Amino acid sequence: MTRHVDPESLLPLRPSVFHILLALSDGDLHGYGIMQEVAEHTAGQIRLGPGTLYGAIKRLLTDKLIVEVDERPDPELDDERRRYYRLTDFGQRVLRAEVRRITKMVAVAQRKKLIPRTRT
Amino acid sequence: MLLAYPRQFRREYGPLMTQHFRDCYRTDEHWRSSFWLGTVLDLLAAAPREHLETLRTENSSMTNLQRNLLALGTSLVIIVAAFFLLTYARSHEVSSILFFGKTLDALVTAGILGNLIIFLLRLTRLDQLKTAFWAMLSVNSILLILAWLIGSRVDRTFSLGSIAVAHFVSFLFWFGLHWAWSKTKTQALAG
Repeated sequence: MTRHVDPESLLPLRPSVFHILLALSDGDLHGYGIMQEVAEHTAGQIRLGPGTLYGAIKRLLTDKLIVEVDERPDPELDDERRRYYRLTDFGQRVLRAEVRRITKMVAVAQRKKLIPRTRT
Repeated sequence: MLLAYPRQFRREYGPLMTQHFRDCYRTDEHWRSSFWLGTVLDLLAAAPREHLETLRTENSSMTNLQRNLLALGTSLVIIVAAFFLLTYARSHEVSSILFFGKTLDALVTAGILGNLIIFLLRLTRLDQLKTAFWAMLSVNSILLILAWLIGSRVDRTFSLGSIAVAHFVSFLFWFGLHWAWSKTKTQALAG
């Protein structure tokens, strides 16, 4: 039976979950790869420890926001014990909804002149 | 440190977490105090969260078990009530109740066998409403065939029509009950 869950109902996302989904939006990654990607795009501000990372991965798998994949980017160079994860279509929709939510908040902050308006 | 996590979580993610920790340790950070502090803080935040979630899942499966037991209890009460009514009517020759005798018989026998099968199949991953439909249909059909085979030989006044109606009513009653039960369950899950 297919579950019809409104992406908005899962918002707001925990920061760790948001960053994991963001890291996976570029392609499949394994746990350590996710941690490195998150550390990189937050300039080292968020470093996911093993407990937080795999706890979040477990919940994302349960909610079907991500799936485990058998394909490996480079099987020869890779350790086969690693597990790779991929963002699902539903995960993509949830991520987009969260980005929209954050954008709206930023717009409010700009109107209140808390941050300068970005020029387009 | 892995021992601080629930057993199921450890079994599933333990090797990956160990590898993750090794990967972090291999990079040139392990000599920094922040690495160890971060590891301990991660453990303190994540381990209780996983234990809480395990507890919550166990509670939810307890609720399912309670609901199944309640359903079984309700079926038993109906079977006992029908059986009591039938016994009372026969001993006191209450014709108004005896008019429904065959239906009450069918309700009791099909109820016991059908619900036992449904309760046992509930432990599998089969669709519960479909299971109830096929179990009740099969049990009532088999009982009808048996009654026809035996009854027509031993009883000259045997009437297949009234037995068929009785089992049809029994099927509708028990399947209807399971259907109503599945509806309340869906609503409870949605709520």
